[in-house]
Amino acid sequence: MIKIETQAFIQAKFSEYYEKNSMNIQPPASMEKREFGFFLLKERIMLRHKSYKTAEELRDSLKKLVPSNVYYSSAYYELPEEKMDEKGWLGADLIFDIDADHIPTPCAKTHDTWTCRKCKTTGSGTPPERCPKCNEQKFEEKTWPCDVCLESAKEETIKLIDILTKDFGVSTREISIGFSGHRGYHLHVESEETVALGSIGRKEIVDYIVGIGLDPQLHGLSRIAGPNLDDFGWKGRIARGTYEYLLSATPEQLEKIGLRKGAIQSLSEHKERILESWKYKGPWAMVKGVSPESWGKIVEEAVKKQAAQIDTVVTTDIHRLIRLGNTLHGKTGLKKTGTSLAAIEEFDPLKSAVAFHHGTATVVVSEAPKFRIGDEFHGPYRNEKVELPLAAALFLLCKGAARITEDGSSVR
Amino acid sequence: MEIPSFPIAIMMVATTEDSRIKRTYALAEAKRASSLLKGEGKQTIMKIANYFTLKLRPIQPRPNLSNYNFALDFTDYIRNAAIIQDKKWKLTNRLLSKGEVFLTTVEISRLLEEEVRRYIEQKLQVKVKSLPPSIMNRVNRLKQLFYEKRGKTSWEEIPSEVIIAAYPPCIRRLHETTSSGRHVSHIGRFSLTTFLLNIGMTTENVIDLFRSFADFKERMTRYQVEHLAGLRGSRTKYIPPTCDTLRTHGVCLGMDEICRGIRHPLVYYRRKLRVLKMKAPVAPGA
Repeated sequence: MIKIETQAFIQAKFSEYYEKNSMNIQPPASMEKREFGFFLLKERIMLRHKSYKTAEELRDSLKKLVPSNVYYSSAYYELPEEKMDEKGWLGADLIFDIDADHIPTPCAKTHDTWTCRKCKTTGSGTPPERCPKCNEQKFEEKTWPCDVCLESAKEETIKLIDILTKDFGVSTREISIGFSGHRGYHLHVESEETVALGSIGRKEIVDYIVGIGLDPQLHGLSRIAGPNLDDFGWKGRIARGTYEYLLSATPEQLEKIGLRKGAIQSLSEHKERILESWKYKGPWAMVKGVSPESWGKIVEEAVKKQAAQIDTVVTTDIHRLIRLGNTLHGKTGLKKTGTSLAAIEEFDPLKSAVAFHHGTATVVVSEAPKFRIGDEFHGPYRNEKVELPLAAALFLLCKGAARITEDGSSVR
Repeated sequence: MEIPSFPIAIMMVATTEDSRIKRTYALAEAKRASSLLKGEGKQTIMKIANYFTLKLRPIQPRPNLSNYNFALDFTDYIRNAAIIQDKKWKLTNRLLSKGEVFLTTVEISRLLEEEVRRYIEQKLQVKVKSLPPSIMNRVNRLKQLFYEKRGKTSWEEIPSEVIIAAYPPCIRRLHETTSSGRHVSHIGRFSLTTFLLNIGMTTENVIDLFRSFADFKERMTRYQVEHLAGLRGSRTKYIPPTCDTLRTHGVCLGMDEICRGIRHPLVYYRRKLRVLKMKAPVAPGA
């Protein structure tokens, strides 16, 4: 729980931000048809079912309320201020949430910590099924955004863009992307084509993107043939995923997915020929000792590589509230920051999302891993008093990993 | 006499005011239409598709597009195909490129069947005031025939006590996770709660199940459970998501024998109850 002084400090800084930057906050298209929602830090409540006619009204509200989180509905309503079943749903943007929480990342989330609720044993990474000491199953978790996590989320976002534009024919002009301000990216499609799609239709889109229910045989995989690299849709993705997988898979990995020794040996013996085969019809029928079942297992891995790991619930929820661009994230003090499709590769979320560029604050950190805000790395810290740039200090305060010093912070 | 028979049939079916009869009739007409379409040329199919404002275009068959004759906008595709259960209709298993799904003549005919079915169902919405007695007699006779053939209700009664042994694997796992106070996703909680309410568990017992959560707040939980039970707000009683939806959201972690034959967790429950009953009569209070 965040202490009163710390909370007041965060509130004051957030207020400053909205006073100075409200002009940068652009309302979504057709704002009068959207529902807005605010989480209030002090009251710890969600204020919902708000609606605004102009950007000015919305900005005034932000300055007055100083919410810790600001949301708007992906949906368009006739009457956005009414109760859910009386709003009159008119349609919704197609939205995607890619969060490091849902992706197995190379950093293995070693920066995250868990604490057993019962015996207070702690550990790093994702919490175990049961506490190794007391067998309890409940944990407090503390998660941190790191460069590796955010890079993984970015890769998934790029894959998603590829699927949306090439397979679904979504125009790049209809897509907008942004860093959420915490652990991932949001992607919005505002298109006439998809606005009226209901939950079931959106589920079909989700299943396509994640590769759920995919049957390789329906994409041309048989005893004698398989997809080619330049095929359209999932066909080509299966081929490219298989190419990629076989190029990097170690014998141990192949064994792990259930291939027999003979098949593994054959695959590594013929590596060159397999690579060569992609110029023609692919390796599907030419490697002895690799049964159709084994190819099936390899393709399963290929599909995992090619699919984009999105949060399936967010996209299928046609009443979802999502964070508004350029507003602050209550868990980090970073702002939700948009980027263009062309610039996403070079986009640096932990730099672009910094909302406070001046001043420092002295805080007492209980525990924090090494982290980066802007160009600077800080930490790791453990039970120490440090003076930090304001953005870094706020980050720790919002995370609940630090408190403001009692003697008043030395803010310049 | 082919042509006038259709409006008369519509009138008679609409007069039955029975949604099952209406659905059955619409489906039969749609099936007939689609079987006729399968033998038609591209032009006729295009005409019908245009009538339903489908974004469909004919294409020349090319070697890498096997035998496809048409390309259909993916939203039009989803609207008609999402309710067809066979896995070959799943968007994931289709060739999708630049927003279009590639289809054979037989496939587009099958999708048009859905359009026709909805079109006829919509036509059957009309309220017919009164018909001459001679026709009303025929309508009533048709109704009677239908009930004799199909039976009046198709749902079996669900016993009042809750039989844990008949839970499908997904629900059983959610139940265990919840009782031990471990984290369950929003959709997991929704599925579990609606499932239990629908098999006859009381709201009190459902609320009790969530007590082991560290962040349990009775007022909040009660509100939500009562809402799902249809006791508040819109008074809609919610039912659990279909198996397909549970798969999308990772709630289904594997199927057993019964799962393979069903598409909804509640149907699983009914079927498993039947199996259990056959094996041994369930003792009261078990």
